[in-house]
Amino acid sequence: MNSFAEWLSTTAPSVFIQMHESWMIPAIQSLHISGIAIAVGSALMMTLRLLGWLGTDQTLQDNQRRFGPWLTGALYLLLASGGLLIVAEPVRELVTLSFWLKMACVATMVVVFAIFQRSVRNHGARWEQSLAARPAVRLAAMLTFVLWGCIIVLGRLIAYDHIWGHLSPATKA
Amino acid sequence: MDFSAFLKSLEDSGAAASVRSSLYYFPFLEAIHVMALAVVFGTILVVDLRALGIASRERPFTRMSNELLRLTWGAFAVSATTGALMFITNARVYAHNTSFRVKMVLLALAGLNMAAFHLTAGRSVARWDRSACAPRAGRITAGASLCLWIAIIVAGRVIGFTTTGAQAKEAPAPTMNFDDFLSGPGGPPRAPQASTPAPK
Repeated sequence: MNSFAEWLSTTAPSVFIQMHESWMIPAIQSLHISGIAIAVGSALMMTLRLLGWLGTDQTLQDNQRRFGPWLTGALYLLLASGGLLIVAEPVRELVTLSFWLKMACVATMVVVFAIFQRSVRNHGARWEQSLAARPAVRLAAMLTFVLWGCIIVLGRLIAYDHIWGHLSPATKA
Repeated sequence: MDFSAFLKSLEDSGAAASVRSSLYYFPFLEAIHVMALAVVFGTILVVDLRALGIASRERPFTRMSNELLRLTWGAFAVSATTGALMFITNARVYAHNTSFRVKMVLLALAGLNMAAFHLTAGRSVARWDRSACAPRAGRITAGASLCLWIAIIVAGRVIGFTTTGAQAKEAPAPTMNFDDFLSGPGGPPRAPQASTPAPK
C-alpha cells in the first residue's frame, strides 16, 4: 500500500493538484464536508421518520423517495471528492489506520442503506405497519446513524493518525 | 483590559490549557464540530429547498420548519461550543486570521438573513404554507442562506490551512498516544516523535 501510495503521488493528476494545493485541497475538502452534510441530513431525516419522531405527515415510502436519492447523490459526491483527495495526497490518506476503519464503516453503512431502500420501496406497507415498530429495527436505525458519527470522527482523525500509536502505519514511517 | 489581553487571558484559561495538553481533545472537538455542522447545514438545506420549491413541495412549510429548526438550533449550540473551545486554545492567532474573521462575518450575515426571512415571507407564511414555494422574498433569503452556509463551510476549512504558522498549537504536540494510553502511567517512557505530520 505504501509503494502504491507513493507511485500514485507521482502520477500526473496527483502532481497537478499538488501544484495548486494551496486552494485545491481546501476547495475539495469543503466540497467533501458539504457532501457529508447532505448525506447526514438525509440519513437523519430517514432515521427520525423511521423512529416516528418527525415527518409523520408522510409515509415511510414517501419519506424514502424524498431523501433516499439525496443520500445516494451525496454518496457519489463524497466518492468523487474523496477520490480526488486520495489522488492529491495518497500517503496522507492511504497509509493511515483511520482511513481504513472509516472505509469499513462506509461499506457497512452503504450495505445497510441499500437493503433498507430496496425493502421500503418494495414493502412500504409492511414497514409502516409492523417493521418500523420492531425494537431490533429501531435499534438498527439508531446504530446506523451512530455509524455516521464514526465515519466523521475517523475522517477527521486521518489528519491525526499518530494518536493510534503503534497501530497506525503512519508512525512506522 | 484591551482586546489582545482578553484573548491572552482566554489562552491562559484552564479549559484552553487542558485542550492543548491533550492529544485527543482537539481532534475530537474538530470531529464533533463537523458532525454538528453537518446537522446544521443538512437541516437548513431541507428547509431552504422546501422554501425554494425544489423539494418536499407537497408538505406544509411550517410543519417542516417547526420540526427541523429545533434540530438546527441544538446542533448550532454544539458547533458554537466546540468552536469556542478550539478558538480559546490559540485565541490571538485565530482572531487575526482572515478566514476566521470572514467566517464570523458570514455567520452574522446568516443571522441577519434569517431575520430578513422572518420579517418578510415569515409574516405571510399562513398564506403560502401549502403552496409549492415561498413568495419571492422568501425564495431570495432561502437562496442566500444556502450560499452563506456553503461559504461558512469553506471559510471554516480554510482556517485550518492558514493558521499553519501556529500549527504547533492547532495540533497539540503528541505528549502521549494510544500506546501510552493502554500501558498507563507506569508504561515505558516514550521519546517524543520527531516529525508529526502537520494536520490539516
